[in-house]
Order: sequence, then C-alpha cells, then structure tokens
Amino acid sequence: MIVVDGLVKRFGRKGEVAAVDGTSFVARDGAITGLLGPNGAGKTTLLRMLATLILPDRGSAQVDGLDIVRDRYRVRERIGVLSDARGLYARLTARENVRYYGRLHGLSGTKLEARIDELIATLNLDELADRRTQGFSQGERMKVAIARALVHDPAALLLDEPTNGLDIMSTRGLRELLRSLRAAGKCIVFSTHVMQEVSALCDTIVILGRGRVVASGDSAQLLAWSGKPTLEDAFVGLLGSGEGLAA
Amino acid sequence: MHRIFVITFKELVDALRDRRTMMVTLLTSIAAGPLFLTLILNMAANQAERARELKLAVDGAQYAPALIAFLERAQIAVQAAPADYEARIRAGELDVALVINADFAGDVAAGRAATVKLVYDRSRDRARASIDAAEGALRAYNRQWGTQRLLLRGIVPQVALPMEIEGIDLATPQQSGALILFLIAYYGLFASLMGGMALALDATAGERERASLEPLLATPASTLEIATGKWFAIACFDAAVVSLTLAGFYLTLNFAPLPAVGVPFLFGTTEFLRFLLVLAPLVALLPAALLYMGARGRTLKEAQANVSLLLFIVSMMPVVQLFLQKREPPWLLWVPISAQYTLLSRALRGDAIAPLDWLQSAIVPLALAALALVATGRVLRRESALGLR
Repeated sequence: MIVVDGLVKRFGRKGEVAAVDGTSFVARDGAITGLLGPNGAGKTTLLRMLATLILPDRGSAQVDGLDIVRDRYRVRERIGVLSDARGLYARLTARENVRYYGRLHGLSGTKLEARIDELIATLNLDELADRRTQGFSQGERMKVAIARALVHDPAALLLDEPTNGLDIMSTRGLRELLRSLRAAGKCIVFSTHVMQEVSALCDTIVILGRGRVVASGDSAQLLAWSGKPTLEDAFVGLLGSGEGLAA
Repeated sequence: MHRIFVITFKELVDALRDRRTMMVTLLTSIAAGPLFLTLILNMAANQAERARELKLAVDGAQYAPALIAFLERAQIAVQAAPADYEARIRAGELDVALVINADFAGDVAAGRAATVKLVYDRSRDRARASIDAAEGALRAYNRQWGTQRLLLRGIVPQVALPMEIEGIDLATPQQSGALILFLIAYYGLFASLMGGMALALDATAGERERASLEPLLATPASTLEIATGKWFAIACFDAAVVSLTLAGFYLTLNFAPLPAVGVPFLFGTTEFLRFLLVLAPLVALLPAALLYMGARGRTLKEAQANVSLLLFIVSMMPVVQLFLQKREPPWLLWVPISAQYTLLSRALRGDAIAPLDWLQSAIVPLALAALALVATGRVLRRESALGLR
C-alpha cells in the first residue's frame, strides 16, 4: 500500500514553481490507481518522489509503511519503477538487461534465471530474449523495461505514462499484464493523460491539476460528483476554469 | 560490495561489445610504440649516416688541391658544387657547401690568411650533423697546417696552441636519445588518460543520454556504489591499454630490426615493470577524474568539453617540465602527472624507483581518486542528474 500525505515539491531558483503542491492519496494493494492529469500537472514529479529519485520539500509518503526518505533503500527493494526515461543497454541482450537489474536487486543463480524465464514467457519475449536490444521497436523496448522493473517481484509498481508510443496490440498486452498483477495483489500506480486508459483499467482515479488532487474516486463516483455524462466531460469540467476547481 | 562488481562486470561486457571503439583504442595503443620508434630511430640513423659519409659540395676545388686531398683522405666525398648551391641549401636539398676563393693560393704565398667559406642553414636539424662534420674537418686541416709551419721554424706547436680541449661526454649511452626517452614517458602518461576516456564518457553522460540512468538510480544500488563499480571497470580497461602501449614499445625496442643508432637505452622487462608501477596511481586517478567530469556533463558533448580540460593539463605538464630544463625540486613528486613523468624519466635512465619516492608520488593521486568517486556519487544523487531543470 502506498500512502501519500501532503507531498510538496518546488523547482526553480527560489522554489517559485510548485510542481507538486500538497498532494495526498492512498493506493491500495490489489488495485490499480490512475493518476490522471494534463501535461505539467506534476505526475512525473510525484512518481519520481515515490521512486525515491528526488526528495520532497514537505509532506511524506510511505510504501508498505516504509518512509520514502528515511528508508529509501528498503523502499527501492519493494517497488518496481517504469520511469519516463526507460533506456536499455543497446549492446546487451534483452535477457542481460533484465539480469543486470536482478543482480542489482541482490538476486542471483538459478532463482534469478528462473524468474527471468518466467518474465520472458509472460511478456512473450521468447524470440527477442537473446538478441541485443539495439533496433528493438518501441513496444519491444517497453516489454524489456517492464521485465526489468518486475524482476525482483516488487510489491508495488510505479509506471509513468506506460502506454506512450505503444501501438494498440502492445497497449492491450500491457493492460492484461497490469490486470494479472492486480489479481496477484500488487499495488499499481500509473500516470496517464489518456482517458481510455483510466476508464479501462483503474479502480481508483486521482485527478491532478497544477500539483494538487482535484478529485478522486472510481469512475462512477467521479461521474456522479461532476454531474457529467462521460468521464472526459467530467475531467474537463473538474479541471476547467472556476467550475469544478472550487469544489 | 557485491553490487559494485555487478556494475563493473556489466560495464566491461558493455564496453567490450562496442567493437569499433574497442578496435580503435586497442589498435592505436599497440601501434603507437612501433610507429613512433621507427620514425625517430630512422631519423637518428639517417643523421649518423650523413655525418659518417659526408658529401661535401665544393666550389673552386682547383684552387686548393692540398685541402681537397686532405678532405678526401678523411673519407669525405668531394663533389663539384652546383651553380645554385645557395638556393639548394635554402630549400634543404643540399646540407653544406664549401667555397674556395680563386686567390687562395695567392693569399697563402703572400703570407695572408686564406679564406674559405662554409655555406649552410643551421636552422635545418637534418643538416646539423653534416655541418658539424665539415666544420670539424676544416678545423683539423687548419690545425695540421699551422702545426707543420711551426715545426718547420723549430717551434713546438704548444706555443701556438697552449690549451688543448678534450671533450668528455658524460652521457652514457642510456642517457642519450633524450627525445626518445621523452616520447616513451609521454606516451605512457597519455595512454593512461586516453585509455579510459571513451568508456568513462559512455558510462556517465552516455548513460544519461540513453535515458538508462534514471531506472538505474531507482535500484537499491547507491550512487557511490554505481560510481565505484563504473570506476573499477574503466580502471581495468585503462590498465590494459597502458600495458598494451608499453608492450608495443617493449617489443619494438627489443625485437624489431631497428637501425643501429648508437644510443641504445634500456627498455627491458625491468623498465617495463617499473613503468607500470609508476603509472598505477594515474590508472586509479584519471578514470575517476574522467568519470566525475563525464557525470557533470548533461550530454555527451558537454562531457567531452569538460574532459578536454583534463586532456590539456595532462599533455602540457610534461612539456613544460621538458622546457624548463631545471633540476626537479623535491616537492615535484607530490604533484600528480609531474611526479609520474619524473619517475618515468628516472626509470628510463636505468635508475631504480625508490619505494619512498613512489609512495610520495602515489598519495595525492590516490586521495584525489577517492575524492573524485565521492564527488561523482554526489553529482549522480543530485536531482539535476535526472535531467530536471
């Protein structure tokens, strides 16, 4: 479970740009939590704080009770991160890329190899596994990056716009994977600005605007609350000037 | 500890698979020694040959037959000078020409000093040996002639030549060939910098540019572990490049059919090992410094600009030292690069490296290397490492 409590992160020389401005929400285990918001809403910054890559200016967050600042190394053991930057090592094969991360997480030997084989099978990477990742397509890279993020079987998964640049088939494949991970009891948080993603997948939707949580709940709650017929209308209504923001 | 080696192993595999960079680095390092030595030694041999088999262009040989006979007895090949000898000397086609005036015999008969002109261009390095040889031959003739005249008058030659100059060259064969010595030491230093450069940049700025740094930082590996792991890989590779470069010199000097130049200096197994010992602190320091500078660059290009500063420092220090031509002050052994250059020169002169001197030369580089690693870790931990603003 991930508990976010009043996180603040400011950028700029005097901290004049508040990328995340007092965000709070809870992401349950066995559920998919979607962070929905326009570009610049602070989604990536929020995920980077949860991934312990940057420090919050104020507020706190826990992953399964571990603080993201004080226990950052133990948090890293519990999370799998698919960041905005998802470069692979082009001269290593897909399998070697995944193995490297497995070893960095302290896995080794037959246990690691078995885990890699399992991921390769799950992600349909069999044909690519022993090829160098140079020249892989976007979708193929994404699969390897996901395998890399999952190699240590993390309890929580953070994904930053995972469907960016993916074709329909790859997107479908990713959705199925996330659903099966949810069924396995993982806590999944992903960010997106694509409406269909959210409605198709999420148990909880957290709508972000200018670094703040504008609204949260499941899609039915958000529809009822905004009084709009579709999620997209609700989204626009909630973020639109004056109307929903005041609530 | 375990993670450091995981990172080292991955970096080495990654680097070794970069065929082109690998080929270029290894080929240039192994080829440098043979190439340089062949060029330089050929030049030296050429000069020695010129001095030994001097061809002297003479204008007006018919006016001083006795002088010509003396020169020919001294194994100098006398040739008639071409009409445009001055232009040819300027162009470097002719080393030196001797001009004998038509009134040579007349002056001698009248008891005046006869004049001969030696024409040369001393700015030409290649011609220097010929010039010296021609000058020496003429002085010898002058002395012989004068001595004979004095003897005819019953005077011992010492009256006119009260002092005898006897040159004692203190340079042992090993101490000669200073240029070659300088080049070998210089190349050793250079190899320890260049050996790690491509790798260090690829492992830092390259990693960031390929967007693989951020996921790496999200693993349980600390930034210091990452920096240390990468450093160890680069240092290993650097050590290999330095060894290959020196091996190139070693093999060439010991086994290649080089022209005999009479300035054999020692670069045997002992010197080879002493070189490696002296360069070891730099093999630790320079990759660490490269890593730090690479990490500071946001892009590969920026990192390259940072690194060129280091390149400048490393390449300038020995040159400055060479031109200062002073006896090295004792504190110089504290200064990285200068200390190594000094010790390398000693090794080439056949001197042993005193353990205390080595220790003194190693302390600062090793401390700086540790500092650079910690600093690299800090740079990677900074939020700007992710390419934020």
